[in-house]
This record gives sequence, structure tokens and C-alpha cells, in this order.
Amino acid sequence: MLYDIRQVTEYSYASPVPFARQVLRLLPVDRPGQRVVACELSIRPQPTERHDTRDFFGNWLTTVAFSFPHSELRLETRARVLVEATEAPLPMLSPPFELIRRNAVAESDLGPLSPVHFLFPSRLVALDEEIAAYVRKSFPPGRPILDGAFDLTKRIKADFKYDPSATDVTTLPAVAFAQKAGVCQDFAHVMIAGLRTIGLPAAYVSGFLRTEPPPGRPRLEGADATHAWVAVWCGRETGWVGLDPTNGVFAAEDHVVLAVGRDYSDAAPADGVIVTSGDHTLDVAVDVVPVGA
Amino acid sequence: MPPRENLRRSRAVAERAARLVGNYRPLPGVSDELIGRDGRIRPHWQRFVQTMAELGGRELQHRFSLADRHLAESGVVLRVYGAENGDERPWPLAHVPFLIAPEEWRQLEAGLIQRARLLDAVLGDAYGEGRLAADGALPASIIAGSPEFLRPLVGSEPVGGHHLRIYAVDVGRGPDGDWWVVSDRTQAPSGAGYALENRIALAQALPDIYRAFNVERLAGFFQAFRAGLNALNRHEETRVALLTPGPLNETYFEHAYLARYLGFVLVEGEDLTVRDDTVYMRTITGLKRTDVLLRRLDADFADPLELNPASRLGVPGLAGAVRRRNVVIANALGSGVVEARAMMGFLPGLAERILGEKLILPNVATWWCGQTLERDHVVAEFDRMVIAPALAPTLPGILSRGPVLGANLSPEDKAKLIDAISRRGQDYVGQEAVTLSTTPVWRGEGEDARLEPRPSILRLYVAQTADGWKVMPGGFCRISDRADARAVTLQQGGTSADVWVLSDGPVAETTLLASPDKVALRRATSTLPSRAAENLFWLGRYVERTEQALRVVRAIARRLVDVEAGSGAVSRLVTILTSSGAADFEKGPAQPARLALAALTDRENFNTAPRLAEASRRAASVIRDRLSPDAWRAVADLEILLNRPLAAHTGSDMHERASEALRIVAAFSGLAQENMVRHNGWRFLEMGRRIDRGLAVARAARLCGLGTGGAELDALLEIADSQITYRIRYVMQAARVPALDLVLLDAGNPRALAFQAERVRHSLSSLPGHAPAGILAPADRLASRLASELETADAAVLDADTIIGYEQTLMRISDEIALAYFTHRRPAPPVEGGD
Repeated sequence: MLYDIRQVTEYSYASPVPFARQVLRLLPVDRPGQRVVACELSIRPQPTERHDTRDFFGNWLTTVAFSFPHSELRLETRARVLVEATEAPLPMLSPPFELIRRNAVAESDLGPLSPVHFLFPSRLVALDEEIAAYVRKSFPPGRPILDGAFDLTKRIKADFKYDPSATDVTTLPAVAFAQKAGVCQDFAHVMIAGLRTIGLPAAYVSGFLRTEPPPGRPRLEGADATHAWVAVWCGRETGWVGLDPTNGVFAAEDHVVLAVGRDYSDAAPADGVIVTSGDHTLDVAVDVVPVGA
Repeated sequence: MPPRENLRRSRAVAERAARLVGNYRPLPGVSDELIGRDGRIRPHWQRFVQTMAELGGRELQHRFSLADRHLAESGVVLRVYGAENGDERPWPLAHVPFLIAPEEWRQLEAGLIQRARLLDAVLGDAYGEGRLAADGALPASIIAGSPEFLRPLVGSEPVGGHHLRIYAVDVGRGPDGDWWVVSDRTQAPSGAGYALENRIALAQALPDIYRAFNVERLAGFFQAFRAGLNALNRHEETRVALLTPGPLNETYFEHAYLARYLGFVLVEGEDLTVRDDTVYMRTITGLKRTDVLLRRLDADFADPLELNPASRLGVPGLAGAVRRRNVVIANALGSGVVEARAMMGFLPGLAERILGEKLILPNVATWWCGQTLERDHVVAEFDRMVIAPALAPTLPGILSRGPVLGANLSPEDKAKLIDAISRRGQDYVGQEAVTLSTTPVWRGEGEDARLEPRPSILRLYVAQTADGWKVMPGGFCRISDRADARAVTLQQGGTSADVWVLSDGPVAETTLLASPDKVALRRATSTLPSRAAENLFWLGRYVERTEQALRVVRAIARRLVDVEAGSGAVSRLVTILTSSGAADFEKGPAQPARLALAALTDRENFNTAPRLAEASRRAASVIRDRLSPDAWRAVADLEILLNRPLAAHTGSDMHERASEALRIVAAFSGLAQENMVRHNGWRFLEMGRRIDRGLAVARAARLCGLGTGGAELDALLEIADSQITYRIRYVMQAARVPALDLVLLDAGNPRALAFQAERVRHSLSSLPGHAPAGILAPADRLASRLASELETADAAVLDADTIIGYEQTLMRISDEIALAYFTHRRPAPPVEGGD
């Protein structure tokens, strides 16, 4: 499926910001199953400095600095991305999770897609025995990794309430887990924390969902903003498989990957150091439309 | 000396030696520094004990106390975490040095250099190609699982080619007498400055012994380290900077000390800024390019943009500047990754693979539980192992406070830990439990003192220099105060000893002053960071404000005690206190005694003497590298004195306290006047003092000198310290016009307003940038105008409005100085081309 993506992020500051330095991850890159045909990020006002580089995980990292007072900031991503219709691997045919656990830690690759980066606690996702106890119910001995992971994905969808007022971007997985409520970022973090604690490699994926569902299918939760889901490593052959616990589905043709990391802090669309005394408001709008639809 | 006398003396010495070591018994199964494995005192210690005996207990005790006093006077302290507000303790120097014989040192030296080369190479690979992991020589999980593996730095090769430039190793002597590496410190090793301080204190206290024992000098090591960093400073717009997390850090004293000793600029994150991937220092003369940082800030905190976003101590954009190779950081960001305990298990193999050599210095045997065989071994031998976090200093759960001894765990904890290891073995290592060797410490008093064995561990340092790796011939020895302790840390008590590396022959005298590297005569000390200038300025203002409050309190106290002194002026004096914020208005003038007491002892109002002294000390503490130890001591003493409770709340007690505090202020002023070089830093201190003194004298003149009688004018002359001059000049009762002329307009009176204005003007005119393009800067213009106004004013017609005008001008000068020199947000240089 070929998509036209447009994301507009608008900041409005209560008092002018004299100096700001930010990192942005707002441009998609080619990923397995996904090809970026064209993309651009326009920034208003024009920053004093701008550098576009790739970060460790291969994401586009746009570093900008503003050294003049500004009260508003507008970031607009336009991209055309081809998402290939790949057949999902059959869960029952994936290796037993114990084997994945053993192979992941012994992996000799230090490259960005190696499972070793996704096995350990990260900045926002600590290991958590309580979440692990919940996750373990999906992994009785010998269960194929993907079968267990998909079961977990559906359990989170069933057990957790989608409630944007329950959490914010700083909420830790333990808190979201205790209240069984939150948004896509929280569900992804909870799932990652549990999988890692039982020794399975899990990554955080940020991206977009198709805005309007194909006829006859329900609209997915999270389509009106940047979405987040999880990728689970299923061994060298199968590699990483995307699972969306917010919607209880595999991440497939409706999911466009923006950035990948160990947790939100590696994949945050915008992060930075802003010198300001006042508050700010943030407005994000996303449109993901199939080309020719 | 007659033979008989000689004989008696040597018998006395032998008796003393016997007393010192007669009851010395090494612990069973532990090797000891004093007593060799043959049960006899080792030869170099034999000589040392003999020398101690010759001096005698009383003399030694006296000399040790000199060393302690030296440390206290230099302001060397130990900051203890956990205690409220970060308690500071006197530096616990163990007075007997740790001795290392020459042949043993050569072995250690070779082992340390080999290890430095090895770890530097492992770092180069981890942040480079990752071959060691790919080839199976080092598990990728150990690198990737370390919280110090900083991914934004992957692929960046440091300028100069080394990740590691200063490296520390904790080594201990095992039961078989061989040295073992207990841990590696590659992040930002601490303690080298303390080793220097221990050395200076002990060498001063025992100069004869120190010389007679041919102890290797430390200065050459620091010289070479400094030269190595200086050589990387290509642009030389600023000196090499030492990046500190700031005065709240446990080892801040050491940062300030080392910066001063090495001639580096002490900076905090906010002193630096990154523009276009280049690091600049914010100085009073604008942004100056900075090429080299000696880092004492943990790497994760160094860049809130790409590393820990919660850090307020870092420099946004620093990682980008490193990637573009525009700055050298020693040690490189991310070099802490090889500190992981799990790494130790692989170093013997890595040494053979990378260097083609056997590891000279063994490390503590370590089994990483991320591997099946090793994990099974650890579980099988659980009770004989230390179980420790593999990749980070601590782990949540049973290891939340670090390593534990398997045998010490309760059955439940043991079962829990084994279960955790079987599920996520990668987080754990098992290590051989080490028993450290013991070294003699001095116990007891005077002639009864004796030596006793205590467990000890050495921290040794290796630095990258222009001539390759160099080991500091000495170090930092930590000694436990418990005879049976396995782990030694100063945080839990214990002492630190100087490490004497003995030489076969006489050693060359070197000091850092006679350094051969880049000897260029310099008079002006360049690079004054804005933040340092700001703190010097406020130190000046606060010290002066303290002095003024004390003078008024003392004047009130004197009048409360001595009715003859003229109690009529008290209410005016009280108004000075209330209007300066040293006491509350509400309490009213009816209670002058209470108000004066409040100004002297209260911590409630902002401008009371104890609060001002505290503010002075705070300002001084962040620029400790720029103050002499004596000046720092004076500021610290002032705070201590003013926060001590008053014995009795009598007028004479208050008078006495204020006078004592004023003597400390006078000492500080004297040190600043007589001992500080007239560089830019001094000018800011000076201007701060002058501005506050000017404000105080103008306010006093306005409140006591207008529409008042002789009693008030006397008080004015007293707090302006101008009574004697007045009496010599005018042999009569205080009268308004001559009094105002003396305290406001007489430019020859160092207490007069006119004098302050002239000094401020002079300091400003000596600063860089005072007249850009030939036009006076705003502060200069205001100061010049004030000075000439005062020069031409007539005391007879001065009124309140005019004096208030002078005060306002002084405050505007202060604001303009802040704007011109302290604001950290200068406009950025224009970017060529845009994007």
C-alpha cells in the first residue's frame, strides 16, 4: 500500500523562547517491508542551525537550534511511503521462546538490529517482576515465541483501558500497569518491560496508522496522532515482528514505521532543551491516506 | 656523643621499635605488608620502623598532627553522602604511608600499562567496528547491556585516538602475596587529587624520612598528563577545561584542587555552549572556543539532548561536537562501558587476542552468568562466591546495594537470587571472594602508640601522555578501620594513606612549577568564565553586606551597654537594619535589642548576618579554584562563627560576636587586597565590594546624617569607620556638613562613597571590552558620571533625593555589569549560508 503522510506539530509558547535546541525524529526511513519514496521536514521559523544525521538505530535525527526569540514552532512532515503487503509469519511455526531467550543473549552482533540492545533495562523501561508475572501467563514452557507474544498483545488490548487522561509522556510502565490504563506508549512500555524481564528482546516502535480503515474494518485507536507499538525478536530467520497491543493486532499494512528504539526516549518525535519561563501548548495532526484512495 | 650515651640511646630506640611492632600479628590467612611470608619484618619496613623509633612516639604524634593541620588549613574535606545537606568531615589521613619496594613496583607498573592499553583497545572496538563481539571474543550482550554504552557515540573516533586518557585501578594483595585487580575505573576516575594532598601533607610533616627513603615524586606524572592534554588544545582560545558536576558532588574539592594544580579552567555545564557542533566557553569576553575537556561529570549527564534528558549538569549538543571531532573529552564519553564486572572474565583472552600477551596483572576471577557453563559453576559454588551485578554498579532487588557474599545470605534470599540468576543470568557475575592484605596503621597515643594491621586497597593511576602511557608512582590507599572488613570504602569510615613507591637510588626533584611543557611567560591569567566572574562579584557584595550589618549591630550593642555612647542614635541605627532587610519592620523600633540580635543571629530574614555569611560561602564554594586556601578558610570560618549560638543574649556578648566576625572579614579583605593578583577575577570581587559599600554608606548617610543631631552623626561616623579621621580633622562635636563630606564626598577616605565610585570606575576601565569602538560601555559611563558628580558635589546642599539618586546609580551599574559580563545568552554568531 502506498501512503501519503502529513504530520503537523505546532508549539505555542506563553512567552517568547530566547534559545532552544531540539532533536527531532520526524522523518521515516526504509525498513524491512517499508520503502520511503519521498519525504521532507519543514520547520518554521527557520532554525539557526539544522543538521540531519542517522542515529544508532538508523532513524533520521534532525538537530535544530534557534538562537532568536520565537513564540511558535511549526514542524511539518510530508512523506510518501510504500508498505509492502507481507504475509505474517505463522505464530505456531516460530521457535520456542526458551530458545529465543538463549540465542538472544548469546548473539554476537553489535549492530543496530541485534537483539542484545533490547534485552536490558533502558531509560524509561526498568525490569519489573510484577509485569513479568502477568506476561509469563502467555509463555507456558515450550510455547512458540510469536504465539506467546501475540497472545500477550491480545491480553493487553483486553485488560487495559485506552484512556489518554490516565497517563502522560513521563508515566513509567509500572504505574500504567498498576492502573491498567493509558495510551499506546504505555501499553508498548508495559509489554516491553514484561518481555525483557523474562529474557526476551523487545523494541519500541513509533509510527503512523492509516487514518481511515479499509471498508468494513473498524478504525484503529491512535490514528489521529503518532502511534507506538512493539517489535519482538523471533530469532535470526524471522527477525523482528511488529505487534500492536493498543489494538491487539499484528503491525502490518496499516502501520508505517517512523522510528525504532529501546523505548520512547530513543524514538521520541521531538525532544530538547528549551530556555523558557512559561508554559506551552502542543498540537499534533496526522493524516495517513492511501494514494489514489 | 660518648660511647656510653650512644649505647643507651640505641637501646632506647630498640625498645621503642619493639613497642611499635612487638605485638603486631598479621591476621590468619591474610598477607601483610609489614611482615613477610617468612614471618619477619620486610627489609624496607624494617628501616621505616627503625626511623619511627628514632623519632619517638611523642615527636611522631606531633608531626602527624602537623599533617592533619595542613590538610584542615588547605580545606581538604571528605563529603559524606546520605548525611543531611551533604556533611563534610575532616580528611581522614592515615599517617603511616603504604610502602612499595622498587622491584615490586616495576611489576605493577608493567601490568597497569598493559591493562590500560588493553581496555583502550576494547573501547576502540566497542565504539568502532565491533569485531571482538562478532568474532566471539567478547559477548555483545556485555557491551550492549552496559548502561555506559552510549549509542550516540558509536562510530565516533576520538581526536588523538584514545578513549582512555586517565585510568585508575583498584588493586589488592591476595593471600598468596600477589597483586590482583579488584576493579577498573575508566569513566572519570577520582582520587588523584587526594593522593597529591596526602603526599604534600605527609612530606611536609616527615621531610627527613621522606628524603631518606628516596620516595618517587608525583609531579612528573601530572606534568606529563597535563602536557598530553595541552598538546590537543589546537586553537588555544581557552585553556584546557575541567568539567565538574558542581559543588554538590562528593569529590568537588578535588576537582577544584586539580584544576588549580594543573592550570585548567574549572567549568560547569552551563559555562559551555555548543554552536554548530563546536564547544565554546562563555567568558567575560564572549564565547571562546574550547578544544579539550577533562571530564569529571558522568558521561550520561554530559548532554541532555542526546544522552540523559533529565540532566541539568550537561552541555546540550556535546555528543554532536564529539562526533564531528571538534572537541577532545578525557575520558571519552562512554568509556565507562569497560568498568563492567562481567568484562573481567574476558580480559585474559582479550589480552592474548589483542596484544598477543599474557595478562601480567590477574584480576579477580569472574564468571559471567550470561553463559550456561559459567552460570552453573556460580550456582554450584554459590556459598564461596561474591555475587555481583554484571554490568552496572547495582541491580534492583537483593543486589540493590551492590555485591553480596553468597554465604552471608539467608536461605530465602539465596533461593531468590539463584532463581533470578537462572532466569536472567546476563545481569549477574560470580566473583572469587578476595581477602585484602593488611598494612600497618598507627594506633594509640604518644610513647604508647603501636602499629596494628588493617585491610587496605590501593588505587593506582595511569595516564596517556605525549610519550605514551605513564603510571603515577604513588597513589591512594584506602584502609578499613575494622580488622575484618572485606570491602573498604571511605564512605563507611576508614582512612586513606599516602603510597610511597621506593626508589633504588636518589630521585630527581620535580615540581609542577618548573614544567618544561610550553613555558611561555604569562602575566595576565586569561579565560575568566562568566559564571566565575558572577560568583566573584557576588562574593564581594555578600561579604561587604555582612560587614555592614555587623557594623550596625555592633554600634547598637555598644549603645545598649554604654549609655554614655548616646542611646539617641539607636532608633536611626535600627532603621538601617530594617531598611536593609537584616531585621523586620513589624517588630518596630521599640525593641532595638531584639532587632539587633535578630540581625546578628537569626536565619529568618534574608539579609541577616548568618544568612549573608552563608550566601558568601555559597558563592565562594563554586569558585574555590580561584581563591587561596586562606581566603576560602576565612569565608568558611565566618559562616561557622555566625551560625554558632550566642552564649548569652547580652549587649556585650553581641558586641563581642560582631567584633570577632568583623576581624574575620578584615582578614578576608586583607587577603584579597594583598594576595590576589590584579587579574579580571579580582576586579569583579573588588567591584562587588565597592558597590555594596557605596550603597551602605549612602543609606547610612541618608538615615543618620540628615535632619539629625550629634548622636546620630557620631553613629554615622562609627559605622562608616571614619571617627578617627573626623576627630583629627575637626576637633569638635560631629556636625552635619563636615560629617557628610567625609563619608560621601572625600575621595581620599577609603570608606567614602566617592572612593567606592572611583574604584568601580577604575576596575571597569581595566576590564576587556569596557570601551568597544572607543565608546564607553553603559556601566563605565554611569561609573564615570557618578565619580565626577561626587567630585563636584557640595556637602552643604546634599539632600535625601540626591543621595537616593547616587544609590540608584550604583544599582544600575550593578545591573549593567551583569548584562555585559554575566548573561549567558549572547546572540549567536550568524550562520553562513543558512540551510
